[in-house]
Parts: sequence; C-alpha cells; structure tokens
Amino acid sequence: MTSIQLLGRQRSARRRKSTRDRRRTTSFYLFVAPWLLGFVLLSVAPLCIGFFTSLTNYDGFDLAGSRFIGMDNYTRAFTDDRMALSLSRTLLWTAINTPLWLVVTFGMALALNQKGIKGQGFFRTLYYMPSIIPVVGVVWIWKIILDNNFGLLNAIISIFRPGTAVPFLSIYALQSLSAISLWTGLGSGMVIFLAGLQNIPEELKEAARIDGANVLQLFRHVTLPMMTPVIFFQLVLGLISAFQQLVLPMLLAPGQEAGGWNPPKSSYLYMIHAYRQLFVYQRYGYSTALLWLLFVVILALTLLIFRTARYWVFYEAEVEGGRER
Amino acid sequence: MTAQIEKKPYAISTGRLLQRPAAYGSLALFGLLVAVPLVYFLVTSFKPMEEYLTYPPRFFPTRWRVENYEAAVTMIPYLRYVGHSLFLGLSNTILTVVTSAMAGFAFARINVPARTRLFTIIIAMLIVPGIVVQIPQFIIFARLKLTGTWWPWILWGLAASPFFTFMFRQFFSAFPKELEDAAEIDGCGSFRTFWSIFIPNAKPAIATAFILNFAGVWGDYVNPFLFLKDANTTLAVKLQIGYLSPHGELLTTTVLAGAVLYVLPLVVTFFLGQRYVLEGVVTSGLSGR
Repeated sequence: MTSIQLLGRQRSARRRKSTRDRRRTTSFYLFVAPWLLGFVLLSVAPLCIGFFTSLTNYDGFDLAGSRFIGMDNYTRAFTDDRMALSLSRTLLWTAINTPLWLVVTFGMALALNQKGIKGQGFFRTLYYMPSIIPVVGVVWIWKIILDNNFGLLNAIISIFRPGTAVPFLSIYALQSLSAISLWTGLGSGMVIFLAGLQNIPEELKEAARIDGANVLQLFRHVTLPMMTPVIFFQLVLGLISAFQQLVLPMLLAPGQEAGGWNPPKSSYLYMIHAYRQLFVYQRYGYSTALLWLLFVVILALTLLIFRTARYWVFYEAEVEGGRER
Repeated sequence: MTAQIEKKPYAISTGRLLQRPAAYGSLALFGLLVAVPLVYFLVTSFKPMEEYLTYPPRFFPTRWRVENYEAAVTMIPYLRYVGHSLFLGLSNTILTVVTSAMAGFAFARINVPARTRLFTIIIAMLIVPGIVVQIPQFIIFARLKLTGTWWPWILWGLAASPFFTFMFRQFFSAFPKELEDAAEIDGCGSFRTFWSIFIPNAKPAIATAFILNFAGVWGDYVNPFLFLKDANTTLAVKLQIGYLSPHGELLTTTVLAGAVLYVLPLVVTFFLGQRYVLEGVVTSGLSGR
C-alpha cells in the first residue's frame, strides 16, 4: 500500500466521520427543536417582554399611548402598603408552611419505613390521595369543613364549647391555608422521602448497629446525614412553591365575584397582590414589576441556600443507585 | 467490653418496643386526618340542601339524595365542559409527551458539544419560578388574540415540558448502547431508532408522563380561568363558580356532587396507574402541589 493510498483512505475516513458528526448534530437539533423553540418563544421572550412592560405604564389596551417610565413601578412597590402587607403575609406563610411540610412528611416517611410495618402500600396510597385531587375539588372539600356556620370543624368544637363559630376562612385564613396545603402536599413529600430512605444502603445501618448505636444515634449519625441531599432538594422546591402560592388563597376567598377575588388580609399573599394589579386594576406595568421583584427574591434565596449546602448537605464520593441530580 | 455487649441488645429492644406502636399510632392518626375530609366530601354530596343547612351539621345524611348527581349533570351543560377539559387534556398531553420524549432522547443518546450546556437550561427551568412567565404570556397571547381560544394549550404542548424531558432523559440514559449500535448497523437513522426502538420500550415513562400531565391539565384552574371565556372554559372553572338556585342561592351539595364526578376519573386513574404516578413523582421531583 503506497503512502498516497493510505493518505487518501485516512482522508475519506475523516470525511466520513465529519459527515457523521454533521448528521448527528442535525438530528440532535431536530429532536430538541420543539423544546428549544418553545423555550425561546414561551419562556425567554415573555420574561423579556415582562421586564420591558414593567418599565412602562401599559394598561392592556392602549399600546400606542403607553409611556416608558423607567424604574417608577419598582420604586412604587416600596411605598405600597398593600405590597408590604402581602410580602409580610407571604414570609409568614413560607416560614410556617415549608418547615411544617418538611418535618411532617419526613416523619411519616420514617414511620412508614420501619421494618415490619404492615400495610405500607395501603398507607402510601391513602396519603397520596389528596395530592391527586384537583385544586377546585380540594377547595370544596375544605370549604364544607371550615365554613363559619355549617362547617364540620366548628360543629366538632361546638360539642365542647357550644356556639363556637371560629372564622377559619377569614381571620384564620392563613392557618387554614397551611393545614390545607399540608393535606395536599403530604403524599408527594412523603413519597420522595420514602424513596430516599430506601436508597440508604442496609450495610451502613448494620455497621452502626454492630457498633452499638441505638435508634436515636442511628438516626442522628446515619439516616439524617444520608438524607440531607433529599432534604435540601425538598427545601428548595418547597420554598419556591410557597412563594408562588396563588390559587389556594384565591379560591378560598369568600365571595364569588368574577375576577375580583379578594382574599381576607390574613391570606393576602404576594402573588394575589401581583395578579390583582393586572386583572382588577389593569396596571400591567406595576404587576410585571412585582413579578420581577419576586423572581429576583426567589432566585437570590435559592442561590443562598445552594451556598449553604456545603456546610450541611452530605454528598457521598460515590453514589450507588442514588439519583443523579 | 463485655458490659457493652450485654447492654446492646437491651438498648435496641427498648427502642424497638417503643418504635413500633409509635409508628402505627402516628400512621393511623394521619390516615384519619387524610381520610375524614375525603369521606365527608363524598357523603355530603348526597345530602339534601336543607340537611346541609341545619345546625349543628351531622356527618352522615339521614336521607341519601341521589338526585344531587342528576341535577349536577343537567343544571349546566356538564358533558360539554367535560368535553372541553378532555380535549385540552388529551391534545396538550399527547403533544407534550411526544416533544418531551424527543428532547429527552436527544439529551440521553445523541452526543453533541452543546448538549451539556442546553441540558443545564432544562435543570434551571425545573427550579426557576414559572409563575413569572404566566402574566407576560397572557399579555402576549392577548395581543395575538389567542386568549379565549384553545391555542395556548396546543403551543404549550408543542414546547415540551422540562420535567418530562428530564424524566425521559433519565429513562433513555439507562438503555444499553448495543441497541443503538445494532440499529445503526442496520442503517437506521436517529428517527427510526427513536421511533421503532426507544419509544416501544419506553411504555412506563410514557404512562407516567401521560397520567401526570393529563391530571395537571384536567385539574388546572388558573390557566383556563385567565385564558378562556365562559363558552369554552373547562369543568374546573365551571365547578368553582358552582350551581345557583333560581333564587341565586349556592346549591352546595349539588356542586359537591358535580365535584365528586369531576375528581373521580383522576382517582380511578391513580389507582390503576399508581406505580407510574409514584415513580414519576420520585424521578422528576414533580410534586402534586
């Protein structure tokens, strides 16, 4: 074989490789095209347009007449009393709801993961049931329980203290909201913790037991550290969804007027305030500015939690059978 | 040393002894807290309205009024709204599953330089708050005169879901490399490989995505409330408004009957496809909240 022939063969091999590369690139982009196009048109573009709108006084109708007003919508947010109220209610809501959800669902997963517990499948199905029920159904279920006059809960309390009519849906709306939210989130949280617990290698627990660790020590030094990645993940997701809570307070608000949902002060959350600005007052610019502020707050908080991760989240050097994330 | 060995079984067994009843006790307590609202919902849907309005309320109805269910489906064009929810649910779900599986396949099996960077976007979209996009989307759709139509659901379906893309990517990553090589030797292009080898073997992932996405659209309230008008909205919005008597009073127990019928298909689907639902929740972290 001459060197020229060899060179030619190499070259054609390289050409074949490059056509294959090119074909591979083409098919990759064809496969991801719907997602990528959707990402640009339905996520990036709205985000940019939302930001642009937040710098104007657009009212939803008069595009030509709207003016560029700079950061006015943002500075306005800091002098808006209702915004301050909604922010403080949202912080309280997040501070109650997220830890409660984490602790209860983790505890239940621990209880369900005990060796020799009978009916594990039954309990798992039962706890998951509320998570499958659509929010409109959830709200009807809880309205007949929490109603001021005809609700089941007030009837039960009345057995001990006749004539009780606790206003669960107005003055205590936030507390009721936490209970409902816990009820619906029980199953999904528990299922994830349960999967995490079942991923802990049995040898680790066995080794700890042989070393004489009791139940509490086993939990403190084996189970808890091994579960920190799952706790971390659930904490981040829980916080993000708590800040974005909109539909529950909206639907639980008394009164049925269309588009005018106006929850009581107790459950006047941030997203409610932002939505009302647009759908009740047609303040498009202010509404999108409020959304952008929330976006920045959530992003900052998420990054902050990610920063703390290395102090308390335990990552094994090699994860076996664990989820890749 | 010997003392330790003697103490060990004792220490464990007291812990164990307390552990089991405590576990059962808390499981039963929470089971009750979960079940009572569901049972009360079901039985109240059979109550005559007068009975619901008596004080103090009773848990079970004294007279079971099945007519509530008849009224629920005849007082409003119930079946028409079922049709709307069904159409939006199915069309959006079929499109979402196809586009997400395609993207998931590309991320799992086609190695190009930009792959990792693009996949980071998927991960970021799982975490970045989606609510910020909803109002601007409304502004855009309103200007394009797409509000009041079903087009947004088609567009969302075409755009794939980052959750299911992530799920399909995880699922397809586990397929053996030989499968692909054999297909390539047989002269299959990427599309043939995807369609006739990967898709037929992805039934569990497809079932998971299908059930979770359909339940999401069927149960969604905010989007149909914002984007649709009364004539073409979904059952969720209709049931939220509820049924009014000729005197304008809210017929709570009739609404409950309508709500039971609305919830039931999802509960049945959950029982049948429980394995897929729970698996999907665990792998994608997509919770029911």
